[in-house]
Amino acid sequence: MDITLKAEHDPMTTDTTAIRLHEETNSRRLRFRGKGEPLALIGALIVLISIFSILNPRFATLVNLQNILSQASLPLIIGVGATFVILIGSIDLSVEGVMGAAGVVFVLLSANSRGGHDLGIWAWVAAIAIGIALGAANGLILTRIKLPSFIVTFGMWFIGLGIATILYGTDALPSLTNDALTTWVSHIAFLFPNVVWLAAALLIVATLVLRFTIFGRATLAIGNNEEIARSNGMPVNKYKVVIFIIAGGMSALAGILAAMQLGAVSNNVGSGYLFITIPAVVIGGTALSGGKGGMLQTALGVLLLTVLNNGLVLAGVSPDYQSALSGAILVAAIVAAAWSQRGRLRIAK
Amino acid sequence: MSLPTKLHSLKVAVALAAAASLLLAGCSSTAGVQAAAKPLSAKDLVFVCSVINTTNPYFAANIQGCQVLGKKLGIPVEIVDSQGSSQVEISKIQAILAKGKKAVVFVNTVASSDAPTIVNAVKAAGGFVTIWWNKPDNLKPQDVGNNFVAFQKHSGIDSGKCTTKALSTAIGEKGGIIALPGVQDSTTSQTRVAGLKEELTSFPNVKLLDVRPSNWDPQVAYKNSKDLIAKYGDQIKGVWTADDGMQIGAMQAFKEAGMLDKVKFVSDGLYPPTIAAMKANEGNGAIVGETFHRGYMASAIGLYTAYLAATGAIDPSKLPAEKRDSMFKISCVTPSNLDEFLKWDNNVEGWVDQLIKTGPWKTEPVPLVAGGPEIIKPEFK
Repeated sequence: MDITLKAEHDPMTTDTTAIRLHEETNSRRLRFRGKGEPLALIGALIVLISIFSILNPRFATLVNLQNILSQASLPLIIGVGATFVILIGSIDLSVEGVMGAAGVVFVLLSANSRGGHDLGIWAWVAAIAIGIALGAANGLILTRIKLPSFIVTFGMWFIGLGIATILYGTDALPSLTNDALTTWVSHIAFLFPNVVWLAAALLIVATLVLRFTIFGRATLAIGNNEEIARSNGMPVNKYKVVIFIIAGGMSALAGILAAMQLGAVSNNVGSGYLFITIPAVVIGGTALSGGKGGMLQTALGVLLLTVLNNGLVLAGVSPDYQSALSGAILVAAIVAAAWSQRGRLRIAK
Repeated sequence: MSLPTKLHSLKVAVALAAAASLLLAGCSSTAGVQAAAKPLSAKDLVFVCSVINTTNPYFAANIQGCQVLGKKLGIPVEIVDSQGSSQVEISKIQAILAKGKKAVVFVNTVASSDAPTIVNAVKAAGGFVTIWWNKPDNLKPQDVGNNFVAFQKHSGIDSGKCTTKALSTAIGEKGGIIALPGVQDSTTSQTRVAGLKEELTSFPNVKLLDVRPSNWDPQVAYKNSKDLIAKYGDQIKGVWTADDGMQIGAMQAFKEAGMLDKVKFVSDGLYPPTIAAMKANEGNGAIVGETFHRGYMASAIGLYTAYLAATGAIDPSKLPAEKRDSMFKISCVTPSNLDEFLKWDNNVEGWVDQLIKTGPWKTEPVPLVAGGPEIIKPEFK
């Protein structure tokens, strides 16, 4: 009798069948999650495309497809950098400031309506360098002073914006005078605009880096459990700085492209991009807590948001209702796509 | 002394102290009113010029107007860059007021709702303020007193009517047009759209295909134009935008679609890139109508009106209603009369000299034409 009682209370000999069954169920869910969520998002996207095509036949035309992909390109380029950052469990809010600084530097150093020097390729180099410098500052302050990325990058947003404002001055809006620059972004090559191919190329490279390189695996490991990654001798701080440099560089590239697309620049050329990009990354399935997600999911998230906004305009929804309707459809699409993955590990806090 | 006696003495002391402080407060507030009513010497003044941001060409011109007037009258100028934020605007103005010099203030308000706070702060500091463009309808200068010298603007309805007439005529009085207003709840944008709708009643064959607010943002206007091109294609014969910044974005989208030389554009502001495009006959004369009013004229008129009140040259309480709530002339510009208006930009100092000579209400090309408030008819909302 005593022996039986002891066995019942000894943790080493307790019957663990129920726990194992639960873990197996979770494990099946986790295995499914890898493919299930993107598939569900694709499903939501197809439903949206079908509805919008019925509401307006012009929605499903090549011209509009070019339009949608072109509009999705800049958020996608920023999203590639943002995905790396979010995968390590951090956040980069400096996107719009970096875009402004890089865009203004690029236009002022290229042939523009204010005159000045045309540095050609060096205008690109200088603008990207600004982005890399701001990204590096983000990463170094984050890792050396150990401040939360939310605070550091929020400050860097306004530093970037401040640099853009100072450089812009109070003279007239500077516009690019070289037609080769202003038409490059939207020039159609093999059915789609150049900017779409550029975004697709960056997406593919980032996907391969994330999946097949030590750097990519380290990114996921840091996001999963930074302490374990650190105790295994991984140079976590170095990786973090590199990731913020990538994010800064991507934002700078997007700033340059936005200025080229418009043919002109102001310090707020990046206005509105942050709040397309971060939701798109998260909607795609990359967890804000880090460690889970990927580049293709981000691409799906960006597409979903772009199709939604474009479709509502083409469907003739009044601007008065567009905001609310867009939010409601988005929530519905996300609930539908994430229904099967609402496991205990993903509970939002 | 017993405890109840002590408490009684304490109560009396507190009551006396409260009465004394009330009396002092009353004295000091009376002194403030007296000081405000007394004309101020120019050497005690500072010009405060508050703009929404410093990069938009219109606001940059606001600053220019303040600086030139300050130079002419020998008064230092402080610029407030609100960075698009009401909070930044109000706190910076309050900080300048706290410095001590009597402020003569021009404010291009970020939002209508900022006006009461700013007006009250300036009044409390004994300064004088003129607000441009945005204020709540129920905030009237006469109700506040002499320190809120005037509210001034150009008519949005006239602007919308002017550009719509040019657009409708240019497309042969028939066909589809699209409209890109600014921020949806901006009074300026709403009045310009009302003018557009009102003028369209004179052109029954011109159809307003779509109205997409584009937040005064060239990027948003670019994106909305791309969507509307996909939706309506060559049904679009004309594009109306509420300001030239958005027109830049819209024109770029139509240029990319290979439609720039088939579509006509009108807008408000006559910004430098617009002038350049009109002079270069871009897109086979794509821009067919604009309006003329200038940021430097608005700020100089506003500051000069407040300056006259501060120095006692005018008594706001004795001014007629249209000089307290004022609308100044807006001119319609087409490619054929464009050159007539460019002369002003080349001689801002000369224009400010003229303003000082003729006063704030009679200076061409922006004399006072009517009193406010500007009412939108319900059918054109």
